[in-house]
Amino acid sequence: MGKILIVDDTLFMRTLLKNILFSGGHTIAGEAGDGEEAVAKYKELKPDLVTMDVVMPKMNGIEALKGIKAIDPNARVVMCTAVGQEQMVKLAIKSGAKGYIVKPFQAPKVLEEVKNVLAS
Amino acid sequence: MKEVPAKVEHNNTWVVVKLGIAEDRIVIPAPVNKEILYKTVVDVAEKKNILIVTAKTDTETAVKILSVDKVLAILKKLILGSCNAYRLMAYFMSPAIRGGVMIKDAQWEKGSVVVVHSGIWFVGQAKQVCVPVTEVAAIELTKREVQGKPTDVVRIDHLESGEVVSSMVLCPLSTLQVLYNFLKETTKSMDMKGTELDGVDQQVAMLIYSGMDSHAIENMLNIPHKQLDAIYDKILKLGLAEVVTIRREVQLTTKGVRYISDATKSQTN
Repeated sequence: MGKILIVDDTLFMRTLLKNILFSGGHTIAGEAGDGEEAVAKYKELKPDLVTMDVVMPKMNGIEALKGIKAIDPNARVVMCTAVGQEQMVKLAIKSGAKGYIVKPFQAPKVLEEVKNVLAS
Repeated sequence: MKEVPAKVEHNNTWVVVKLGIAEDRIVIPAPVNKEILYKTVVDVAEKKNILIVTAKTDTETAVKILSVDKVLAILKKLILGSCNAYRLMAYFMSPAIRGGVMIKDAQWEKGSVVVVHSGIWFVGQAKQVCVPVTEVAAIELTKREVQGKPTDVVRIDHLESGEVVSSMVLCPLSTLQVLYNFLKETTKSMDMKGTELDGVDQQVAMLIYSGMDSHAIENMLNIPHKQLDAIYDKILKLGLAEVVTIRREVQLTTKGVRYISDATKSQTN
């Protein structure tokens, strides 16, 4: 079980992920609504894992991922991409993402991916 | 012609036969006494280890064949390679995404995509995967990175044991467009305008998709039980969901309250 930071610009998706992760026994370290906030919250909260949306205002998910990796090269970040943005996955992996989920997602699969990344 | 042991449904019972498999036909001996030319086959469906082959000559007849995986795999390959269906050579990846999580070791396979009445078959050297038309949740012409380049593909989402599974098809764009149009036409009965649900209704549908129960949905969206029930009615009426469980909310009677009070007392004494 891990301490997780949820990054997404929509409250709905954050709440959904929070519920899924909480039901899987994880602790929610915090939430961020954009990339800049995500990097700041990572520094402050030092979570075990980050779920990171790709398209966000101010700083997008890929930039935020790079920012987090600059602070902590071992950071575990799972990217959340929408359908049709799968090409972003390669870029995210190159930038150090450990996993990726495609929206809309199903709870058991999200928990499985989070478990795998936490175990890595 | 090769002969393999199989069971064939005949007059509502399964009979053991030595099934003849030739290059162009299946020969089913007595008591069934039937020959099926692959080119007359209009539909192939699979339920567990039963293959349902429908052939059309003057009339349409369906034959159910039960056998081991190896035999069924040979039959499927032969029939799907010659049957009366929409067929194209393509690269496919099935499954590519399961429940929103990309399959890490998924690879492109060279083979064919065969569209029959009841399903879309991906036929490769090693495997034959069927997506039943009734389970197709979405068809989309999209882009996916292939060998470092964004490439046009058709994505087919379908339901498999309650999970959404996505498969990808890759071939020249003009062929993809034809395939896309053909699949759209085949699954037209499931198309919707997109204006049937309002914002909250859509959020409820998304939460159901993600596996949330009624209690979690009420809490997340901060809506009363009655409103959620009304949204459920709407979603059910549109055929977008089905009832799987009806839960009850109860409150204790005086007898129940007394029982709990007594039980608590005996625990604390």
